[in-house]
Amino acid sequence: MNRTRIQSYLLALRRELWIRGLIDAESLSEIKSHLLEAVEQNVKRGLSKDEAELEALARFGNVKTIASAFERERIDLVQKILFALAVLTGLFIAYVDSRPTWDDSGITAGAILLSSGLITLLGFRRPWLIALAIGLWMPLYETVTSHNFKFPGVILFPLVILLIAIVGAYAGWAARLGIRKTFHLA
Amino acid sequence: MIGEALKGHLDLLLLSVLAEGPAHGYAVIESLRQHSSGLFDLPEGTVYPALHRLEEQGLLRSRWQEDSPHRKRVYHLTAKGEETLAKRQAEWQRFSKAINATVGIK
Repeated sequence: MNRTRIQSYLLALRRELWIRGLIDAESLSEIKSHLLEAVEQNVKRGLSKDEAELEALARFGNVKTIASAFERERIDLVQKILFALAVLTGLFIAYVDSRPTWDDSGITAGAILLSSGLITLLGFRRPWLIALAIGLWMPLYETVTSHNFKFPGVILFPLVILLIAIVGAYAGWAARLGIRKTFHLA
Repeated sequence: MIGEALKGHLDLLLLSVLAEGPAHGYAVIESLRQHSSGLFDLPEGTVYPALHRLEEQGLLRSRWQEDSPHRKRVYHLTAKGEETLAKRQAEWQRFSKAINATVGIK
């Protein structure tokens, strides 16, 4: 059976779920099983393979609708708590860094890297959002209080801080994925 | 219109279908369609996140069935799911009775 259309759909859905931090091999496997069964049933009803695939996919819904449905169902309390924790951590780091007695950029960078990684490791599903929630405050405060809006400083400093946060967040997220795969967790 | 109205009652519908016996996603969706004579025609894929949420809430359990051409994830109602279904059915009865009375349907 030519399953190219189904495979393309599954790849597109996988991408949409990945963007939302919702990759779940079990769900994709279940959806694949559903689509293949739907195609089989449609063929039994007398449709051609092409028609059967098109109808199965049309009935299932477009990838963005389905990915959004998964997202809606999974924005749970834990996600909200982790996001709030990230914002508070980012504010705390910005506050400590703004103290005149604080002069250790290495520790600040390490704190941003570690806290971003830890929160995604704990299960927050959107690493980029955590990177913003933690890494945004320090450059924002620095730029506003120093009134330094000159290029390239106004762009470079936030970029460096955000880059550190992004590296940390995606490292934690990748570590979590690795742990889940290793121990076959859903 | 029907699809939007249905979303608020999807949990009750899914629990009711699974009260008839364990079933995999495709069968649940087919059953929904048959019971409603085709009126409940949601995008099929939106049913899966709801099934997963009900499982996370402990109202359903699932296991993979390997003895078919495609492995299937079969869902069944838990004791907590049965309790919740009974509660939701009672709520629905009160609600639909009130609506019917208000709009003049006897």
